[in-house]
Amino acid sequence: MSPDNLGIRKIVFYSEEILSENGQAPAVTAVRATAAAVVANPWLGGKPSDDLSPEVMKLAPVLARKLTNVLAAELGGVDAIEAFGKAAIVGTAGEIEHGAALIHTPFFGNLVREFFEGESIICFADDRGDAGSNLVVPLWHKNAAATRTHYQTISTRVGDAPLPGEIVVVLGASTGPRPHSRIGDRLTDPAVKADTIGELIS
Amino acid sequence: MSIRKIVTFTEDVLIEGGREVSPAARVAVVAAIVKNPWAGQGFVEDLTEGIDANASDLGALLAPRVLKALGSPAEAYGKAAIVGLNGEIEHGSGLIHTLAFGNHFRDAANATTLLPAVEKRGPAGVVFDIPLKHITDATIRSHHQSIEVRINDAPHPDEIVIALAAAAQGRPQQRLADFSTESK
Repeated sequence: MSPDNLGIRKIVFYSEEILSENGQAPAVTAVRATAAAVVANPWLGGKPSDDLSPEVMKLAPVLARKLTNVLAAELGGVDAIEAFGKAAIVGTAGEIEHGAALIHTPFFGNLVREFFEGESIICFADDRGDAGSNLVVPLWHKNAAATRTHYQTISTRVGDAPLPGEIVVVLGASTGPRPHSRIGDRLTDPAVKADTIGELIS
Repeated sequence: MSIRKIVTFTEDVLIEGGREVSPAARVAVVAAIVKNPWAGQGFVEDLTEGIDANASDLGALLAPRVLKALGSPAEAYGKAAIVGLNGEIEHGSGLIHTLAFGNHFRDAANATTLLPAVEKRGPAGVVFDIPLKHITDATIRSHHQSIEVRINDAPHPDEIVIALAAAAQGRPQQRLADFSTESK
């Protein structure tokens, strides 16, 4: 590990601007993006009982700062970001808990919310896998998580990461809703219970 | 020209071989996912019309975007055409192997060499590597490199992914003997 940059080997940015979906331009052109940091797993060789917090406090805030900086710069500022999500892919020499440690504590999540000026809990995905593993990152609205128009995902992948001793930490964001979102919301939903559906599922 | 999606991708390498890379080595890719201009037409003998209608526009769209994503002058570059399963590789080649396409990138990057390329047919989510070489001297070995790309839902069978790649430097930790110093 390089002491100077906390073992961060790569920073990868990926974005998709959807100009057309099912042959028609969306009413709102949204950009979905991920920023990913490939970092050395600081807990290799440890025991399942080890306290992970010293490394979390050192590393997670730096990842939160770097990844929010990348997304804000590339997507046109914090105000342009409407939805967010996070993910971790742990290399095969690590525990899933190591990825969870980097994304599921206030040292990452609270700072992401603060930097993106959001209030929602941040939805997530985590997995363990080989280099080149694909992971779908869920996103939802940064201030109103139940906003159905903003339920969306983006795939993330780094070709040569994670190495067995690495973790890929991912932050996702979107500047708008799904293209052609039209499945209603909680305010317009009818009451749905098994007996209102009736014969279809009886 | 019918574009479904524009993908921008950058990779910054901060450590290679266990040593820091400073400044970070950046490679950028911008890809347009377009409808195959010859989709559903069977074997089209003369591709000129579809090339004229699309190749220059694609080059003009992608060249400034990839240089903006790179954020510094390009020293190496390359291109890609990934054809969906219903198309011919010749369709992708038609769009990228014309001066009308490549000159936009060459002019914007002050480049002179031919753009190295990958042409391939595959399903949505196919992984492809774009080769890059130096923009003014393709024998400069330090700048031979490639960048791996994957777009989860492209190309559809009737689409083509057209991409440009640019690097701001050679390989991180490059240390091979120069081409000109090798005994023949």
